[in-house]
Amino acid sequence: MALSTHTTHSGFLLPSIHSAEPFFTQQPNPNTQRIVTEQWSRLILSYARHRNLFSIRVEDAETAGSEWDEILRNERIKRRLLPSHLSHILSEMVAKSQAAYEPPKQTRIVLLYWRLPEEWAEVLHQWVTSTGQLTTILTFYEITDPPVPSPLSGLPLVLLRKAIGILAKTGRAQIISIADGEGARFFAGTGK
Amino acid sequence: MRNKSCGFKLWQVLEYQIASTSRRCSEMHRVGGGIAALERHQQAQRSFAELSSEISQTQITNLQSQLSQFRTALAHFASTHRDKIAKEPSFRHAFQQMCTSIGVDPLAGPRKGGWWAELTGIGDWQYELGVQIVDVCISTREINGGLIEMAELIRLVSRLRGVNSGEITEEDIVRSIKTLEPLGAGYQVVDVGAGRKMVRSVVKELDDDQMIVITVAQDSRGRVDVDGLVQKRGWSVERARAALENMLLRDGLCWLDEQDESCPQVYWVPSAMQWEE
Repeated sequence: MALSTHTTHSGFLLPSIHSAEPFFTQQPNPNTQRIVTEQWSRLILSYARHRNLFSIRVEDAETAGSEWDEILRNERIKRRLLPSHLSHILSEMVAKSQAAYEPPKQTRIVLLYWRLPEEWAEVLHQWVTSTGQLTTILTFYEITDPPVPSPLSGLPLVLLRKAIGILAKTGRAQIISIADGEGARFFAGTGK
Repeated sequence: MRNKSCGFKLWQVLEYQIASTSRRCSEMHRVGGGIAALERHQQAQRSFAELSSEISQTQITNLQSQLSQFRTALAHFASTHRDKIAKEPSFRHAFQQMCTSIGVDPLAGPRKGGWWAELTGIGDWQYELGVQIVDVCISTREINGGLIEMAELIRLVSRLRGVNSGEITEEDIVRSIKTLEPLGAGYQVVDVGAGRKMVRSVVKELDDDQMIVITVAQDSRGRVDVDGLVQKRGWSVERARAALENMLLRDGLCWLDEQDESCPQVYWVPSAMQWEE
């Protein structure tokens, strides 16, 4: 049986390395583990993008039934990523700014940066501009849960705040306190 | 035809030489008189030496003309069949064999593979293939640790070139790797036994035990464990473990799998696993 790619129920194309048995074991050779970590990081980020997932927990590798099962487990070869291995991979991802521990000061949950905060800032500004909402005050809720689904639907508040903060630095956004929480106003600008 | 006429010319030259030498000799007789016979003898010897060098000169000229004729014919052949040589493996093979049998190395010569390679384009072809071999070896190195099976290498190189896998033969690969030798990159074709060849792209000596591990792994799509080696090869547990641990920790030639149901530590040799992109 050759190692081949596989399409999951959710339509995600798993790379052929995902059907290699040793891919699920933490490697004692540091050079080999570096490759394994790299492949897993890439896989986690692309799956997150595919499913619009923003965080992963070490617990997701512990028991079946999480939304990450499709990649953390391979029932066809009876292998799964162990929590300790996932924890190692996540720490490497944080070190490479592909993720961040969120909330900080713990190492069990990370926020995934399949788009960097800077990239989210651009996506946000573009969405506000294209929907004609410049200079209008928007609540955070209106941005992350718009009536018409947008690329920002479901964006965690932490990321939204970072993105607005980045836009504010270049005068393209302003955080405003409103009666029931926080909001923001956006301005046209070159971003320069 | 040409040979005959050359031979005829040679004969003419010889005749002329002999005639003129004997003329000179008889002149000496007349003039020489009673002077030392030794001197005459020396004179005669000089003349013969002269004659012999003239003859060899003629022979060389003759040979050169034959060679240039041969070159022209080969050049004509090579340039007319250039495309065929580059495209057809069987034709290329026949051509290489012909070159070997007459002692011509298609890649030999000063710079750029010499006139021979320039004519056939085979030098370029070979170098190009060499570059693609390096490409495949380097891009798969992180997974397989610098060791790739010949068939897999041919498959990947063929894909890179966009040709069907029979277009490039094992012989072509071996030859190309030879052209890479002067670069000192350490590319080497390793025979792991049972007619199986692998290409090693890292400077790393494979010891006999590692070769056996790779062969065993190839029979089980890359999977190998201590028990398997003990049973199939009659190794001691220590020997099997040492060989596998070296490959795992020191050389990065295999990966560990701790989730196998039948054995707590299974080793996988990526270069023996069948990857399908």
